[in-house]
Amino acid sequence: MILLQLVIDGLLLGAVYALFSSGLTLIWGMMNVVNFAHGDFVMVAMYVAFFAFTLLKIGPALFVPLAAVVLFLLGVAVYYGLVRHVMRGPMLAQIISTFGLALFLRYSALWAFSANFVSLPDNLVGGTFQFGEVRVSAAQLLAGITALVLTLGMHLLLTRTDLGSRMLAVSEDRSAAALVGIRPDPMQALAWGLGGASAGVAGALIALFFYVSPEVGNSFTLLAFVTVCLGGFGSVPGALLAGLAIGVIQSFSAYWIGPSTKDVVVFALFVLLLWIRPQGLLGRA
Amino acid sequence: MRIAPGSLAAAVVLVLLAVVPALTGNPFYQHIAALVVLAAISASAWNVIGGYAGQVSFGHAVYFGTGAYASLLVFDKLGLPPIAGAPLGVLASFVLSIVIGLPSFRLRGHYFSMATIAVAALAQVLVTNWGFVGGAIGLMGPASPRSIADLLFRSALPYYAMFLVVLAILLACTWLMQRGRTGFYLRALGSGEQAAESLGVPVRRYKLYALLMSGAFTSLAGSLYAVFVGFIDPNSGFGILVSVNMVVMSALGGAGTLFGPLAGAIILVPLEEITNAWLGGSGTGSAYVAYGIVIMIIARFAPGGLAQLWHLLAWGRRRAA
Amino acid sequence: MSMTRRGVLALPALAVLPAVANAAGTVRIGYIEPLTGNAAAAGKSIQQGVGLLVDIINTPHPDLAPLPLAAGAGLPKLGGAKVDVVWADNQGNPSVGQSDALRLITQDQVVALCGAYQSNITLTASAVAERYGIPFLTGESVAANLTERGYKWFFRTTPFGPDFGNLYLDFLAYAAKAGHKTDKIAIVHEDTDYGTSVAGSITQAASKRGIKIAQDIAYNANGTDVSPQVLQLKNGQPDVVIFISYTSDAILYMKTFKTLGYRPPIVIGDDSGFSDPSFVASVGDIAQGVLNRSAFVAGRPDSLTYKMNALFKKTTGRDLDDTTARSMQGFLVLCDAINRAGSTKPDAIREALAATDMPANELMIGYKGVKFNQQGQNVLAYSLMIQLQGKDYVPVWPLNAATAKLELPFKGWA
Repeated sequence: MILLQLVIDGLLLGAVYALFSSGLTLIWGMMNVVNFAHGDFVMVAMYVAFFAFTLLKIGPALFVPLAAVVLFLLGVAVYYGLVRHVMRGPMLAQIISTFGLALFLRYSALWAFSANFVSLPDNLVGGTFQFGEVRVSAAQLLAGITALVLTLGMHLLLTRTDLGSRMLAVSEDRSAAALVGIRPDPMQALAWGLGGASAGVAGALIALFFYVSPEVGNSFTLLAFVTVCLGGFGSVPGALLAGLAIGVIQSFSAYWIGPSTKDVVVFALFVLLLWIRPQGLLGRA
Repeated sequence: MRIAPGSLAAAVVLVLLAVVPALTGNPFYQHIAALVVLAAISASAWNVIGGYAGQVSFGHAVYFGTGAYASLLVFDKLGLPPIAGAPLGVLASFVLSIVIGLPSFRLRGHYFSMATIAVAALAQVLVTNWGFVGGAIGLMGPASPRSIADLLFRSALPYYAMFLVVLAILLACTWLMQRGRTGFYLRALGSGEQAAESLGVPVRRYKLYALLMSGAFTSLAGSLYAVFVGFIDPNSGFGILVSVNMVVMSALGGAGTLFGPLAGAIILVPLEEITNAWLGGSGTGSAYVAYGIVIMIIARFAPGGLAQLWHLLAWGRRRAA
Repeated sequence: MSMTRRGVLALPALAVLPAVANAAGTVRIGYIEPLTGNAAAAGKSIQQGVGLLVDIINTPHPDLAPLPLAAGAGLPKLGGAKVDVVWADNQGNPSVGQSDALRLITQDQVVALCGAYQSNITLTASAVAERYGIPFLTGESVAANLTERGYKWFFRTTPFGPDFGNLYLDFLAYAAKAGHKTDKIAIVHEDTDYGTSVAGSITQAASKRGIKIAQDIAYNANGTDVSPQVLQLKNGQPDVVIFISYTSDAILYMKTFKTLGYRPPIVIGDDSGFSDPSFVASVGDIAQGVLNRSAFVAGRPDSLTYKMNALFKKTTGRDLDDTTARSMQGFLVLCDAINRAGSTKPDAIREALAATDMPANELMIGYKGVKFNQQGQNVLAYSLMIQLQGKDYVPVWPLNAATAKLELPFKGWA
């Protein structure tokens, strides 16, 4: 029935939102830097996936990890090249620096690849599964499940591993962490790398069922912000919950109220929630 | 408050820069000059809440759009000259500041910024779906002037003069504000909100004053834009780029300084126009690539904006970050 | 291709010259299009098409004979003066379009303007032209209000909103007579001014005939997922779905149709997204039978349209699409008018434009001719219904212009 279809669609899409938002929340939570270019990281990953397929003829099993690696490197490069320096400055400077990065990435993509939309062939991850009356495209199912697994994986990395605790230490108190021998720079670079990689995987997965163009980053960035804020800055499980919630809310409001107003519901709920509970669902107060 | 000689020199230079294009007699340069001053009004208005009070709003387009729509609505529905809508826009902006601003002030830092983005996005979607205000199609101004009150001039100079007057009033108000008690309290809460509160500074009240003033002038800028361009739609009124431009201009020039936003506007607006003129026709997007690089460089090397650079030059000493 | 950019800072001196004095032997025309932003693909395509025309006009192309100005080199009545186009990017922003128009007129000294694709930008840019007394001709912007302003200097060669409403309804009336059910009509449109104004025109045309639109679904053009909308359609079970979408959404809808297994009996796509070459390339094989409107069809091998298509394909590797062709035709009409005026004075050009009466055989597009009414609208503008069969769109209605048989219901994917 339609209800179930809406829920499934919403959850699958929401899982992908959760994936790239978890990268953003990691960066944001760890060093209080807003990455305005996050949606454009996803866009770059989509192009990596597209060109890997068309030029190198490799399939998703290979180009998804490839996109993760490329974006990991990009994240680290952005940290060492730009963020590390502006972090010492006023918050305003940090914000506009990543905004400049977003413009740079977006329009370099326009320059290099032209404005024409491109997309991966429809049957790359072939077929549609039918569960009773609910139809799910294999590509979206794959994307959703992978996103879920990776987000959980990131959470485990942060909370259950040594590396994770070192990263969290730096985010809590940079100088204290330095005093106990944890070098902050590599940890923060790693955060950017992981943030990039999560955007990389998400982008490569999204490319399986969505068109690729230089402008797609815009809508992803705003969605990521809302997801992160709703889930609470710095909380990966929060991003997961929020992403899923937003996916489902969008799905339902688009169907019941009207597609044009689906964003209204998300934004309105978001603002109300912030007013009532400023730290988001699972954020640290 | 004494005016430091460096600031006076800066003011003089900026005023000259602002006035000279008008004297060139070239209609295109005059048009750019008018655009610069208009942008400076928005950026300086933002600066009151974003720079002086430290509440970084990324949704100021909600005020800009309100002012623009108010102007074109009174024309569209009542047949009045668009400028008659400006006071209406300002009144509406007061209401918005209270209704939206007050609850949002409980939010700190990035949360506040996010809430402002969401509010502006909300406004955009609502307006897009509301047929009465033109929906997605937007509103047109008078096609040809019916009287001088329509303010439809062929030359950019009258606009330029109007905008300059409004900017001067805004800067004067800002200067008065920051040297008075409001400025004192805003600086206090900028250094540490909780500390200020514990010392008895009525933080919320003064943040509201700053927002009321900021919103009102931003709304006025929107009304003036509607008169100048003769058209508004949800994207040009409430779009994210409208908000971001205000922030970027202010930040590049030096947020929290009196002439910072004007300096930012003087650099950025012509930069955008010139890069579009030189590179835009090729359609490669290289204009924006250049814009992005410039923003990154300034953020990286002069995070305090041009005001910081100026202080370095004037006093050879780094301003405390 | 001849494209020139002008450095603003290098030419303050030119600012004082009157708008009439062009460098001897060149006629400069300004063209404002979206070269960045969401509509950049369309803008670039138009840039390529117009570049082709500039070459055709400036150098002899006798094999294109009935096409005005193709036979010789340059504009004959202006001593063989060459045409030069100065391009400006409107960045999808009405204020930028306004600045572009001003710069082209005052800095680049253009004698006329063309553009600007998005109707709201054409609105602001042509307002500047009107103020300066410079002709502005749009070959592609379709909003009705553009010709409702009482402007003297604004001309439009393309059919517009109300024309499309009537076209679709006439076509559906034909389909109904042929035995297909057409009572329930759903309109799915993106929510910017393009989608909203065309949807409005169709609804108005329908109500004039006593037809009520069953479903009106507005959606956000930048959305990432359209499943809820398709589910709404599935639920409403319309007989006809009319899409007014840009390329990315058009592609998304076709893909979602397949995923959710939904095939409406009749699917019409209103030009734009459905005409974009990337649409056919990405989802052509799952959108078989989708209907579209076009004023341009390549036609028979000896026809002018066929030859133009071949030239365009040689330069760009793709077939000529409707929007590009319409813009190109507008440019050609403008150049022809300048030639007939025999002068670059704005008044003379305007008079020549107002007096235009171009017969159908001189056009590179399927209009019945070009003749402007008092408001500057071409009253002989015309479109056909085309259908995606195989890899190409073929004309299927009206019957006297059809080269293939109409295939209903919508096939979609194999």
